[in-house]
Amino acid sequence: MNHDLDIKKLRNHCYRQSKVPGEFMLQMRAPGGVIEARYLSLVQHIADTWGNGLFHLGMRQTLSIPGIKYEDIPAVNRYIKQYIQEIEVDLCGVDMEVTEEGYPAIGARNIMACIGNIHCIKANINTTALARKLERVIYPSPYHIKISVAGCPNDCAKGHFNDFGIIGLAKTEYDYDRCIGCKKCIEACAKHATGVLSMENGKIVKDTCCCVGCGECALVCPTGAWTRNPTKFYRVLIGGRTGKQTPRMGKLFLNWVTEEVVLRVIKNWEDFSAEVLEHKPVYLHGGHLIDRAGYNRFKEMILKGVQLNPEAMVAQRILWTETEYRSNFNVRPVNGVRAEG
Amino acid sequence: MGYSLSYGRMNEILKELQQNYRVYAPRRWAGRGRYSDTDLIRYGEIAAVEEVVHDEKSDFSPKEIIFPITQPLFYFTEDEYRESRVDDQGLLIFARPCDINGIRRLDTMFLKNGDSEDSYYRRLRDKARFVLMECGTGWDTCFCVSMGSNRTSDYSLAVRFLPDHLLVEVRDEAFKRYFSQEREVEFTPEFVTSNPRTVRLPEIDSSGLLRKVYDLEMWKEYNSRCQSCGACTAACITCSCFTTSDLIYNENARVGERRRVWASCLHEDFTAMAGGLGFRATPGERLRFRTLHKVYDYKARFKEEQMCVGCGRCDDRCPEFISFATIINRLSDEVERLKKEASQEVAGQ
Repeated sequence: MNHDLDIKKLRNHCYRQSKVPGEFMLQMRAPGGVIEARYLSLVQHIADTWGNGLFHLGMRQTLSIPGIKYEDIPAVNRYIKQYIQEIEVDLCGVDMEVTEEGYPAIGARNIMACIGNIHCIKANINTTALARKLERVIYPSPYHIKISVAGCPNDCAKGHFNDFGIIGLAKTEYDYDRCIGCKKCIEACAKHATGVLSMENGKIVKDTCCCVGCGECALVCPTGAWTRNPTKFYRVLIGGRTGKQTPRMGKLFLNWVTEEVVLRVIKNWEDFSAEVLEHKPVYLHGGHLIDRAGYNRFKEMILKGVQLNPEAMVAQRILWTETEYRSNFNVRPVNGVRAEG
Repeated sequence: MGYSLSYGRMNEILKELQQNYRVYAPRRWAGRGRYSDTDLIRYGEIAAVEEVVHDEKSDFSPKEIIFPITQPLFYFTEDEYRESRVDDQGLLIFARPCDINGIRRLDTMFLKNGDSEDSYYRRLRDKARFVLMECGTGWDTCFCVSMGSNRTSDYSLAVRFLPDHLLVEVRDEAFKRYFSQEREVEFTPEFVTSNPRTVRLPEIDSSGLLRKVYDLEMWKEYNSRCQSCGACTAACITCSCFTTSDLIYNENARVGERRRVWASCLHEDFTAMAGGLGFRATPGERLRFRTLHKVYDYKARFKEEQMCVGCGRCDDRCPEFISFATIINRLSDEVERLKKEASQEVAGQ
């Protein structure tokens, strides 16, 4: 085989190096993790024709096909041209030229999402639709960004471990006269959420401070006293990541912002990244960029030109929850003796 | 007498009617449904006839117009009280046959149940007139035909919604004058004559059998399925339970009101008594109570008809997909089995 391969260039076209020399895994984007099922036959064709017959459900919801030989990559790229056109351009409206070179960039990673309200009874938003709108904003930027969209604060989408976690919120509204004081919402809020509801004179009072916007009260209300404000709201978490050294959970940056705000904020990420990385799009988790710039500079740049809706709340500071892997200060050797090795 | 008129003309008539009536119809509350991006369809006042949701079943019934969810009865201070008031406007309610039949059940509960009428119900009920809405073919949860509530003649107006015009029957003389300028046509409303679901009613004809029905195993299955949320009773056109309580205003403990608020027999505290007593501790027992109220003891008391009208909203609204129609059929099967066993026991003796 050819032992002179430009691994980095191949990676930029979404081919990941295999431990088997000369083999690669193609990671096809599926923004929001939802595509028409008919595309699976296309995946099967690639796996059976050029891959090793296996298919991996990618960790970021890519359609991953391992075992593709370097020599076959041009053929695969020609074959996926139509998929890229249909998903990226036709479906998501990405502004890009689709060529026979495969994917043009890997920086902006596939946007993850839970199934959202196209299916889920708990979801507050259409995560698929939002993921596709975000894809238009971030792709094909060479700058690294990992986004996950969750339909509700349960965050099955693990937005807490992405550069940006976007969580759909329900702003529920209370109709005093429709309420029969059955306390089902109080129980639901205490069990599922933050227990901000209580009873007063046979009706419900809400501590608006700490409502997490899960919508459980609207789900359980038998009379429709609690209903959702049809406007969708979002919580935006920043700086979450996994990693060997400093995995950490994302922290609350914006609360109760509208979709328009979310899209504008994400649009500003590229400029922010460019400034912090001095225009060199290297792979660093977003949290490190925020640390380099400092939260205040990040906030200033990411909110540049963003018209915040009146309900919006913005973090005044971020208290990161760091792990101790670098210092091991919370762990001690068994018997006080550190084993060799 | 029937009339054909445009939506525009109907809206002009609606404006005239609104001089004397508050006009209520099932309306769409976009995005206010139980799940996100679903709509809520419930009763509200309308400004135009296009707002009437006639081709979907409403989530809630029209009972809340004459039996408000929260209803102040009177207000009191230290040494005097004043009854709550209602205005002089009539109530004109777009309703389906099952709902109009259901309101007859409410009339029985509030006006013919014991020696005295419920005046707070009476004062709203007397103002109510109905605009019958046709159901087309009905919906998959309906079982009005089984309950005999698919037809009614208790309406002032009947309406058929066609794409570019309306057909209206004026049955009540008092409404004739509003339509005097309209083109006369032959029109009487059509009623649903069959439903996808057929419900067989249990014939519980002895107290011994009733006792056995209480103890049926089938109720226990619902202990794990039913969440006791009460969505079925809130949606039901015939559920009439309420809790009366005195409310003392926070700002002044010497002033307050007596009000009544809907109650649900599915809720844990429905039978709560002083000392912590309660009579139906499990969801299965509460669902049994509801079932027997709807298809046994209301009729046992008032003779004429069963309480349930088969509108099927309980099935539509149950978040756990418990079908009341299925419960009734299961109960009927169990009653038949118990009867057969009893007759075999007699024969064997």
